[in-house]
This record gives sequence, structure tokens and C-alpha cells, in this order.
Amino acid sequence: MTEIIVVTSGKGGVGKTTTSASLACGLARRGKKVAVIDFDIGLRNLDLIMGCERRVVYDFVNVIQNECTLRQALIKDKRLETLFVLAASQTRDKDALTSDGVRRVFDELAAEGFDYIICDSPAGIEKGAHLAMYFADRAVVVVNPEVSSVRDSDRILGLLASKTHRAEQGNGGVKEHLLLTRYSPKRVASGEMMSVDDVKEILGLDVVGVVPESTDVLQASNAGVPVILNDESDVSRAYEDAVARLLGETVPLRFISEPKKGFFARMFGG
Amino acid sequence: MEKTANALREQAIEIRFGQIGLVQVRVHTTDPGAILDELTGRTATAPQFFERTAVCLDLTPLPKLPEVSEVRVVIDTVRRAGMLVVGLVQPVGLMPTNEQPEANAAIEALAKALDLPVLTHFRAPNRPVPVVQAAPPPVAPALPTLVHQQPVRSGQRVYARDRDLIVTSTIAAGAEVVADGHVHIYSTLRGRVMAGAHGDTGARIFCQEFNAELVSIAGVFRVFETIPAELAGRPVQAWLTGENLHFACIT
Repeated sequence: MTEIIVVTSGKGGVGKTTTSASLACGLARRGKKVAVIDFDIGLRNLDLIMGCERRVVYDFVNVIQNECTLRQALIKDKRLETLFVLAASQTRDKDALTSDGVRRVFDELAAEGFDYIICDSPAGIEKGAHLAMYFADRAVVVVNPEVSSVRDSDRILGLLASKTHRAEQGNGGVKEHLLLTRYSPKRVASGEMMSVDDVKEILGLDVVGVVPESTDVLQASNAGVPVILNDESDVSRAYEDAVARLLGETVPLRFISEPKKGFFARMFGG
Repeated sequence: MEKTANALREQAIEIRFGQIGLVQVRVHTTDPGAILDELTGRTATAPQFFERTAVCLDLTPLPKLPEVSEVRVVIDTVRRAGMLVVGLVQPVGLMPTNEQPEANAAIEALAKALDLPVLTHFRAPNRPVPVVQAAPPPVAPALPTLVHQQPVRSGQRVYARDRDLIVTSTIAAGAEVVADGHVHIYSTLRGRVMAGAHGDTGARIFCQEFNAELVSIAGVFRVFETIPAELAGRPVQAWLTGENLHFACIT
């Protein structure tokens, strides 16, 4: 059975595309057949993060408008056998997406035997974001530990509970997960940043992952290698944990408290 | 593109019902000279008001039913005075009851011949309206309380029309819960709450963990820029006396 997961947030710049890329890679590394789709028509980024921008010939809009087949548009990842990218169009606008077209693409992917479809939602609550979430079975709501991001995520959670196919059918609705990104335990400790518990309490949801703030993310983006593939990084470990939790494993939360400094570090200001 | 075309096609016409005032011209004679004299005299007093005004012809004051040709002359005369005849008045309530059906049929036939509509619902002039004892307004059946169990997210709104509201989950900042009756919140309130939305000043608000943005009862509201320390995060009740909103911790 194909499971459709939307990665959304409402607010821009919180790490939706980074998260989409990393979750897709993480699932593919565990042998799942994964398609990751960029819904941000006109402002495509996912292909850059995935490092396949020079291999985009046909895109999502071409498939929807029957200008090519799905197979022609799916870009096979060079690192992982079972990972495919469907890029957004850079030249069209968001009206090029249609509900029927999106459904047809999902049906075709299901027929091709994909285990997961990851939908990288654009920011905002307009058509692109709406269509990205509409057919989802699960949602990963990416949130930064600050008030405006939390407020926007709350709005998105409201839409997930009312404006999705599952909500309209009344069959249990979309399963919602919270993923905190750019989390800095140090700034939480000093009271500058909201804590995991604050966010959990306000949004009334459990977290599927907490990703620490790190310069590794920017480096990974610029290199076109999803950050989860950088095994040296805490960010990678945090995303691996999130993937495990999405697959139903119980993994304790890491990177939510400041690492205790050792004696030498304290002495020499490490 | 196709979508725009569809939208345009849907908008080609719109049919709307509305009421407009209509001038009636009651015709006492079919003599064009007399009518023209009278009408021009009237229109001269307020030329802008009567200029191209739509009028409805009431033929019932005439001693006998006019011929189609006679009515055509009357219509022409009215037009020369600057007004436009758009219909004939149906003689409902304007004739003795026994002549009514006959008169209706005659006016209908005239209207057909003249290609004009027959307009009804003019109030009978100088006829006392029979006084009907107004029936007491039906007592609204008491509706069961609306119980809302999902979180109310920012931007969402829950409204309990004509009844009380119970919310068992968190109300986020930027969310709104409204009831015409009381509001009970068995969770954290961070958004807006309105009780007695249709003016019931006896409506109350009860809340388990108070962090509201705005509280309103029967239109009297208070905005909380900062929550008073004695209320913040505590179980709170709000009620109205006169124009004053009161808040107290439920202990």
C-alpha cells in the first residue's frame, strides 16, 4: 500500500524541503520505494537539495498536463536505488496544478509499487499547499521553536483536520506529526527559544523528531546532498530517528538538551 | 485558461429578486387630451423625478373596460408626458368581490394583447386591513448542547447556534469559539471566546485554563493584551452585569 506523506508548515524557511529530502532518503535507505514530489511550482528547490537539478527534463506539471509520461519525469537518484524525484516546474505558476491531475499522478505511482510518496509543500495556504496536503495519509508539520512558526503550524493543522480528502471522507483524518527543526538547546536553556515541551503543549501533538540547528544543513544544501546522508552530523542522526519513528519504532529523543561540557572543555573554553 | 472561460460563462447573467418602488397611474378617463394635461401639469412640478420613470397603469377606476386600442392611446399619452408604462395593475382588492374574477380575466387579456406584464401586490387604497391577531412566536425547541472535541486551531471558528457550547480540547491563539448560549471550555483557552452572541446577557463563560485573547458576552467584550496574574492559567468564570464584564477564579 502506498502511503502519502505531506511535509508542510505554513511558514516559509523552516526546513520543509530539507526535511522532505532527508525523510525521503532515510526511507529509501531502509529499502522503501520512495517518490519525493516538489509542489512549489514556480519556485522549485527540491531538485537543488537532492542534487539533480541538471537532470530535470520533464517536471510534475508536464505529467499533469499529459505532456510526458510519469516514467519520463521521475528522476532516479544516483545514490539510492529506490528513490525518485519529481521536480516542480520553474516556468509555470501554481494554477497549472489540478486536483484531478495530482490524483492521477498518485494513482500511477501507487500502481508502480511505490511505498511512500513524500509531498514537499510550498509555504502558505494557497492552492499549491492545499493540493500537496489534500490526498495525504500523514502529515509532517515542520515547525521552528518560535511563535510565528508555531502559530502558522497551528493554522495548517486546522486545515489538515478540515480541508483534506481524508477529513472530508470522515475516515479518521490525516495522521499528524510534529517535527521541530533549527532547535538550539543552548538558546532554549537561556530562555531565548521555545522548548520542545512548549511547542508540544501549544499544538497538542507529539513530536516525531527534533532536529538541532546546525551549519551542516546549509553545507548539505549547497552541495546538493540531503543532510541525512552526512553521517558525521547530528542533523543526520536526528532525521534517522524521525524516519524510525515514522516507521513505528520507539526511539528516545536526542539533541534536546545541551551537551554537558567535559572538564577540559570547561577549563579551556572548548 | 479553460477555468477562466468557465467562470465567465457562469457569470453571463444573474437573476436576482428585489423590491423596487413603482409609480402607479390611476386612469379615470381614456381621453388623451385630459390625461396629457393632467400629467404634464404633474411632471412639471418635478421633471427629474418623472423623467423616464417606470409606471404601472391602474385601469380599475374607468367606468367600463377599455378596448385594447384605447389603452394603447393612453400608454402613448403617458409616454408623451415623459413616463414609460411597464405593466398593468391586477385589480386584486380594487373591485367588488363579485366582479373580481371577471375583471382579472379582462385585465389579463388586455395585458396579453399589449404585451405587458400584470403586476400584483399593490395595496388596496383606503381599505381597512383586517386586523389579524399575531400568533405568538413559536418557542424555539431547546437544542442539545454542541460538544466539540477536536482542538480548535488558529483560524478555525466553532459556532453553537441557539445553544450552549462545550469544548474539551485546546483553543489556540487566533481561534474563535462562539455560542448563543453559555460556553464551557474544559481545556486551555488561548483564543477568542464569545457567549450570548445573539444578545443573551445571562450567558456565561467557564474555562479551565484561562489565557484568552478576547472575551465577549452579549457584545460586551474585553481584550487581554496581558492576562492579569490572578487569572492567568487558572480556571475562570466570566459573566455580565449591565455593561460590566466580570471575571473570577473558580475555586
